Amino acid sequence: MLSAPSFAEGRPLSVLCELTYRCNLQCPYCYNPLALREYRDELSTDQWRAALQQAADLGVVQAHFSGGEPTLRPDLAQIVQSASRAGLYTNLITQGTFLDDALLDALLASCLDHIQISIQAPEAEPADRIAGATVHARKLEALQRVLRRDVALTLNCVLHRLNHAAIGDVIAFAEELGVTRLELANVQFYGWAYRNRLALMPTRRQVETGEAIVAAARERLRGKMEIVYVRPDYFDDFPKPCMNGWGRQFMTIAPNGYVLPCPAAAAISQLSFENVRERRLEEIWRDSDSFRRYRGTGWMPEPCRSCDRREIDWGGCRCQAFLLTGDAGVTDPACSLSADHPLVVALRDAPEEGALVARRA
Amino acid sequence: MNARARPSLGKGVRLRRDPDGTMILLVPEGALVLNPSAAAALELIDGKRSVAQLVDAVVERFEVTPERAAAELLELFERLEARGFVTLARSLC
Repeated sequence: MLSAPSFAEGRPLSVLCELTYRCNLQCPYCYNPLALREYRDELSTDQWRAALQQAADLGVVQAHFSGGEPTLRPDLAQIVQSASRAGLYTNLITQGTFLDDALLDALLASCLDHIQISIQAPEAEPADRIAGATVHARKLEALQRVLRRDVALTLNCVLHRLNHAAIGDVIAFAEELGVTRLELANVQFYGWAYRNRLALMPTRRQVETGEAIVAAARERLRGKMEIVYVRPDYFDDFPKPCMNGWGRQFMTIAPNGYVLPCPAAAAISQLSFENVRERRLEEIWRDSDSFRRYRGTGWMPEPCRSCDRREIDWGGCRCQAFLLTGDAGVTDPACSLSADHPLVVALRDAPEEGALVARRA
Repeated sequence: MNARARPSLGKGVRLRRDPDGTMILLVPEGALVLNPSAAAALELIDGKRSVAQLVDAVVERFEVTPERAAAELLELFERLEARGFVTLARSLC
């Protein structure tokens, strides 16, 4: 009766608005690009308003506001209001350290539908060490503040080698707070996280233990808390269906207005991207080389081309293919059928390497 | 869940009708396209109407037997409840 999301080809579902890459935290697992300085020329309030209206005209139904830390934009509530007025469902993705009552009032007055707040770990140590700032207590206050209001909340925690063993404690933390939706996402290796991949890679034992804990908690908390679990693709036989297919349902607008088929796509030096300051979003979506290059299945090489799963996983992730092999046009090496899969196996099984580089501009 | 349950949309969940008539359930970080009978039932849920009443409404509008409509709506609401997209008030009688 209820069909899975099955939008007609050619209609984007959702836009991720990365309002700024500025952030007061220095999480080593951040997927933002290394070259943060190149993104200082941010879109203005009016440019965001125009882009959101163009997205709604194109059939987009949902806008996600992220960063960097989106609450560092003093016009955040105005931008959210533009999206609401254009008829979009609005979702704020924040680390919560600036989410005081005044900002929350302004966001709710702008009809914000949902807030996602991330923590680094369930306790101040190691959370503050991972974040590179003393912020865990402020995040806890923000969570309590949001829970007192009439707005939907998801608590998010990115999992990696440094906090994976605390997965049960993250669930207990969420339960104690009264959170009804928890996202436990294994780190994805892009940007700063890719740079720190050897230090962040969870061990197979961590992943297996963690998944058993999640399965038991889901059973126990059924109807009380939804636990969304994002698997680590380095440990799977098949790649993730990144973005549900390149240029198929999702687009990202970077702080400087460049439109990307995937939030990590700016790393792909084989492509050049177009900007909402120069071209209408509809044209970029429909006609730009960057969106068309890996759309559908026509671009696929073997083993994807003749694979039964080509419209299930869409060749995996183009950005991951590029980062690992230097060519975004090959099968995602996370796939066990890829000739490049040994690269993933070598990374996954590499001995622990402790040196972490903190994210910084 | 049974036919006396009275569903309502969960927090952060909205129904949207597109200009072409497509009904979409907007949920935190996702969107689900609804078929017409699921959409008709979800449009009516308000925490007061029971699943039995929703079944009556769907049977009136669509060519479907009451048994089939009841089974499908119960399954739909169970799936949505498990994900927190629908909450239930249970009748005491």
